[in-house]
Amino acid sequence: MASNTIDSSIKTTGWEFVTKTVDKRALIKNQKPDPREELAELEAQGEVKVIHITEENQPITVETLLGRTKRIPTNKLWHHKSCGQCGNIPGYPTSIMWFMNKLGLEYLDETHQTSCTAWNYHGSGTSNLVALASVAVRNWHRAYETGYFPLIHCGTSFGNYKEMRNLLIEHKDLRDEVRRIMHKVGRELVIPEEIVHYSEWLHVLRDRVAAMRVYDVSNIVTTVHPACHVWKLVPEDVIYDPAVYGGERPAPTTAILLELGAQVADYSTWYDCCGFGFRHILTEREFSRSFSLERKIKVMVEEAHSDVAITQDTGCTTTLDKNQWIGKAHGYNYDLPVIADVQFAALAAGADPYKVVQIQWHTSGWQKLLDKMGIDWRASKDAYEAYLEELRAGKEPDQLYIPPVEQPV
Amino acid sequence: MSHDKDTVTHLRLNPDDVGQQDAQSLLDAIQSDLRYEEVIHGCLNCGVCSGSCPSHRFFDYSPRIVVQTVLSGDAEAVKGMMDEYIWACAQCYTCAMRCPFHNSPGGLVMIMREVAVWRGMEAVHRLLKPYGRVLLKVLSIGNQLTPDMIQPDFFPDWGPKIPWSSTDLAIKRKAIPVYTLQVTTSAWRVSPETSYELYSIYEETGVFRLIEEIDPNLYEVVADMVEDLRDMVESAR
Repeated sequence: MASNTIDSSIKTTGWEFVTKTVDKRALIKNQKPDPREELAELEAQGEVKVIHITEENQPITVETLLGRTKRIPTNKLWHHKSCGQCGNIPGYPTSIMWFMNKLGLEYLDETHQTSCTAWNYHGSGTSNLVALASVAVRNWHRAYETGYFPLIHCGTSFGNYKEMRNLLIEHKDLRDEVRRIMHKVGRELVIPEEIVHYSEWLHVLRDRVAAMRVYDVSNIVTTVHPACHVWKLVPEDVIYDPAVYGGERPAPTTAILLELGAQVADYSTWYDCCGFGFRHILTEREFSRSFSLERKIKVMVEEAHSDVAITQDTGCTTTLDKNQWIGKAHGYNYDLPVIADVQFAALAAGADPYKVVQIQWHTSGWQKLLDKMGIDWRASKDAYEAYLEELRAGKEPDQLYIPPVEQPV
Repeated sequence: MSHDKDTVTHLRLNPDDVGQQDAQSLLDAIQSDLRYEEVIHGCLNCGVCSGSCPSHRFFDYSPRIVVQTVLSGDAEAVKGMMDEYIWACAQCYTCAMRCPFHNSPGGLVMIMREVAVWRGMEAVHRLLKPYGRVLLKVLSIGNQLTPDMIQPDFFPDWGPKIPWSSTDLAIKRKAIPVYTLQVTTSAWRVSPETSYELYSIYEETGVFRLIEEIDPNLYEVVADMVEDLRDMVESAR
């Protein structure tokens, strides 16, 4: 069950063989240049400005797929929020901020941010490379001028921004066009030294996070769904660790679960997507429903006897969580809870299930999971309902974070 | 990737070309996209991409066939794919992760989708219709999903808990302990200045013009919102 090696009892598809002999071989034998070295050259030429990771960011160094190092900033971070998380899974960002407060870390959450617009792009094609790159650079520049380093919450934003960074580094004509547009909006062409996902931040702080655990989760069987746009888009930039699946699978998320003491169960379709499909979740719903149930939820429960599916991205959490109820029509009665790694960690660390983890927005039955963890969610629910009444009566809401006075951009 | 001196690439398509659907010009647009050389490096026809493709399991769709057809240079066949076939791709990039040639069939599909939309192909209007709400949000405030979009009428298959998520929404959002999230019509509070800058990006990159060409009704709504916000920001300066 422990996942520092691949469980020999679950080799139904041979995925572990495939990843060794196809993916990594091809990537390692034909390595692309390190974009960060090229970025440094461009900076030296005065071609671009770089958002550097400084000592103030308290970076922690990790290894990525090709054995290169990546510095993950842990402090003084600019929250690049996810529209899907904030709109539909609000306990995702609140759990991140709750941990930052507990750890005494500095951050900035403000209103001068757009989404990456890449969900719409992948789904509908109604944008283009220059628009995507300009949106990315606008957000990066906003972080740059505040002095905080961007922390990307969404997996698609993370993948898209890695692509945009690489394309901007490789193509002068793209840089020139984006620079022209940035001048129109009073900004400059800046590129971060690293593109950093929140799951990487959680990964490098996992020992400090796990030290906050107040509930024993050793009886909880988790299954991890690695998000496609986190680890398949620009895969060479993803963290791998020999202690996690022998270094054959991405380390973030699995490693924090192990650090918390939970069981991480292998399952044969770990490699598959969730069925979100970008346009499919809206326009080809039968695909999203069928794929998420047949290829993920069913396998997680029947093969791995999972208590909870743990995610690291926006669309996956929604797809795996929301599409289970309709499965009852065809005898799929799994009702497997689906929450993000940071939400699971927050629950284990004693965060209020309703007020902080906002578990009530999740559709599939999470109550049995919280019962098994020993969390009194009923008391949390009662307190939440009383709090709603207070808000209705005009009480000012409690805040995890007091935003700075808004300055015009 | 370095480019051959003679290679003509383009950064973006021109919205004035909506309606230009000659098959060869579509293929030329795909193959001259700046990203084309990033996503296609040759093809062994091995089928590893299709073997792990989620859409291949559920649709008449194969990333191997997409790559092979584009490489064959058969412009009419490529055009035929752009109307329906390529829209089955789930954009998961498992194909890109596994291709021994470092191809990205998912990336190629994205270029083809972009060309299909920016040339206003027939299927695009039908395919984009369910996207109206997303497009309105992304064009006006740069958010793509907002709390008020989760309604039981739109997601009846998400079960009996969805009505909870859509009722008494203002109070439930206020109970989220993060100031920027205590709103209902956007995922977070977006400053007017930020939307103002976004509109400039959409204008300069032809996105507004594209929407005007392919969905005039949506554009009319967006244009009104843009005008109102610009007036507000400019009068406040």
